[in-house]
Amino acid sequence: MTPVSTEIPVHRQHARPPVLALDDRRGTWGMALFIATEATLFVMLLFSYYYTSRGNNRWQVHEAPKLHYSLPMLAVLLTSSGVLYWGEQQVKKHRYGAARGALLTTILLGIGFLVLTFLEYSEHLKTLRPSTDAYGSTFYTLTSLHGAHVVFGLLMLCWVMIVPRWEPARRTPHRPYHNVAMYWHFVDTVWLFLVILLYIVPNIYNIA
Amino acid sequence: MSTAVQQRLLDLWESPKTLYGELSTVDHKKIGKRYIATAMVFLVIGGLEALLMRLQLATPQQNLLSPEMYDQIFTMHGMTMIFWYAQPILSGFAVFLVPLMIGSRDMAFPRLNAFTYWAYLLSGVLLYISPLLGQSPHGGWFAYVPYTNMPYSPGYGMDFYNLALILLTISTTGGAINFIVTILRLRAPGMAISKMPLFLYSTGTISVVSVFAMPALTAANLALELDRRWATHFFDVAHGGNVLLWQQLFWFFGHPWVYIVFLPATGMISMILPTFSRRPIVGYVYVAMATVLTGLVGFGVWVHHMFAVGEGHLGMSFFSAASMTISIFTAVQVFAWIATMWKGRPVLMSPMYFALGFIALLVIGGLNGIVTALIPVDWQLHDTYFVVSHLHYVLVGANMFPVFAAFYYWWPKMTGRMLDERQGKISFWVMFIGLNLTFFPMHLLGILGMPRRIYTYLPQMGLTTLNMIVSIGAFVLALGVLLSFVNFFWSWKHGIIADKNPWRADSLEWSTESPPEPYGSVHLPTVATRHPLWDDHDEEEDPTGERILDQGRLTFTSTWLDADAFALSSMPEDTILPLLLAIGFFVICGALIFQWMWVVLAAILFSLAIGAIWLWPKYESEELA
Repeated sequence: MTPVSTEIPVHRQHARPPVLALDDRRGTWGMALFIATEATLFVMLLFSYYYTSRGNNRWQVHEAPKLHYSLPMLAVLLTSSGVLYWGEQQVKKHRYGAARGALLTTILLGIGFLVLTFLEYSEHLKTLRPSTDAYGSTFYTLTSLHGAHVVFGLLMLCWVMIVPRWEPARRTPHRPYHNVAMYWHFVDTVWLFLVILLYIVPNIYNIA
Repeated sequence: MSTAVQQRLLDLWESPKTLYGELSTVDHKKIGKRYIATAMVFLVIGGLEALLMRLQLATPQQNLLSPEMYDQIFTMHGMTMIFWYAQPILSGFAVFLVPLMIGSRDMAFPRLNAFTYWAYLLSGVLLYISPLLGQSPHGGWFAYVPYTNMPYSPGYGMDFYNLALILLTISTTGGAINFIVTILRLRAPGMAISKMPLFLYSTGTISVVSVFAMPALTAANLALELDRRWATHFFDVAHGGNVLLWQQLFWFFGHPWVYIVFLPATGMISMILPTFSRRPIVGYVYVAMATVLTGLVGFGVWVHHMFAVGEGHLGMSFFSAASMTISIFTAVQVFAWIATMWKGRPVLMSPMYFALGFIALLVIGGLNGIVTALIPVDWQLHDTYFVVSHLHYVLVGANMFPVFAAFYYWWPKMTGRMLDERQGKISFWVMFIGLNLTFFPMHLLGILGMPRRIYTYLPQMGLTTLNMIVSIGAFVLALGVLLSFVNFFWSWKHGIIADKNPWRADSLEWSTESPPEPYGSVHLPTVATRHPLWDDHDEEEDPTGERILDQGRLTFTSTWLDADAFALSSMPEDTILPLLLAIGFFVICGALIFQWMWVVLAAILFSLAIGAIWLWPKYESEELA
């Protein structure tokens, strides 16, 4: 075996308690992995959406979904992500008032998204229902699962809103604002993909 | 080291020995032991179900079990063994061992760790409510539609299947995330990724695999439940659904799952076998790489479960080739183990017996697996006892044998007492003979054309003698397991007292007391080589006590590649919240089976409240001393 130096390298010698800082990134790693597994769930359901279209042209039977709600919904969510990102920068600069304002704006935009979802569903359900066929089943499972994620994300944002302290702390939550923002950006990204794949592509397909 | 320091650490880390203390502990050593004990209970239940099946099949036209009962029992046997024994037992060992092996004081998320255990336990409880109603799942462990869909499987059996598995999936995914962050972030200073014990490679790999494989099962369960109770048409061909969608989703999860229940077992062998060969493992880098590659390529072989459904030729050729490729990585490990023994001085003690038995059985199970990776042969053998034989050689041979090796090896660390050597060796031989007697004749039964999942057969079919042999073998195997259980219970109280490192092994868990103190090591260890206890280094030298960390529940955080300690992780106190959250999830899943939606809603709100309290900051004086 190659002989290995047993001396502690110089750069490690000084990096010892009480010099060492408290680790506040574990939760962020956990959230990143949680997002990875959640994203895979959406990929699996999208796979189901395409797999059940194998061998039947659903656009001969169905109209492509309309865009007049889904695109504004996308705009609302992307705006909310932008606002939340700005808020996060304010947290880093310790401008907690501005950050709280950004958080509140994000929550309101999220609620706006849910209102638009309600309008979209009440119109869409007149022509397509989850029980219509496999297309309806996969379409509504995907969109409503995303809706559930929006609700969950909103609840977490509200929780961050009432948590009195966002500075790095010895105990959890470490970086609550950042971790929940990650989740919110993920939820928004999912909607970006759903709008493209479930709403826009069928319309392009029908024009072509 | 002074006893005052030890007392201070004990005050910090010990859970009170009250009922409340036991229910709210987040100590990975306690949780790991609970995982192991619970999984062994499921092993016994699943084993008894197997014995019932073998009694039914021992002679032709037996009337012990009705066809429906037989269906329920073989399904519960498969589910119990594959989902509630094979993976959780490995998780249990990993929960106990990983923090000790990396010289940390707990897992990265101790409360999540407690939650995943309770969720696992309660998911098993949920599953076993179904036999009490006489409505167990009855569609085999992989529950193919359309048979498991509403028109053909009325009653609650398949709903129990879906919801119990969803709850288990939540537990497994949470556990996997916990292992990944623990292994990548909490390793002892100096334990670079190239110096990790191989068990960490296998546990880390399957944790990553779990994160990406479990959602496929969740999606499949969700779709089936929606189809059954909520009028959707995922699998309903008359309404544009596709029955093969179930198979695609299930096996996209299912084959990676095979490696999830197999790779940590190889990791255990890579720890045990070098210790008893008295030398470092040969080809450490190749074994580590083979482990990771098995996990990766394991995502590209799932269609080999579906060769009989009529997929395209190009696709099938790809999956056939991938299935054969993956055996190369297993072969790398097998040759590394053989070379380690060859170059070492093997000491034949009972853990080594089980490890050697495992290698023999893995080779048999691997070779008859390659046989079924060949499409023309697979078409002949699909759904016969040949496949049953293959999967049991792999699951019993390559999961249960390493687990028993692990019991004989790590029992002294867990209990402070040695297991009896002679009983261990007798148990090994009885199990080994019983296993081969049970599963080898199944090859022949399969080639003779005996289909799996049948509840009886006719005397003139020529299957009588072989089935009798199989049934006798099953009881011999059960006797072998029973002998080890007797050994466990006897040695628990009467075994020889073990010192810190009875096997003179190389990895860090052996530097702690047997059984380990609640805080692990007094001075958190540092690592300079792959074999910290075999190679001299300054591990114990900490004259100024910089690595005691008794200012609170603390452990080192290190960089994921080189393991330079750059921060301290503060660990949470004991709390009852994980148990409450698991109960909340249990009620959600249980009430969904019967569509008691108000109960579901109440349980969701309860769980959300628990989650909010869980992460709520605390305000005691908490600055570091």
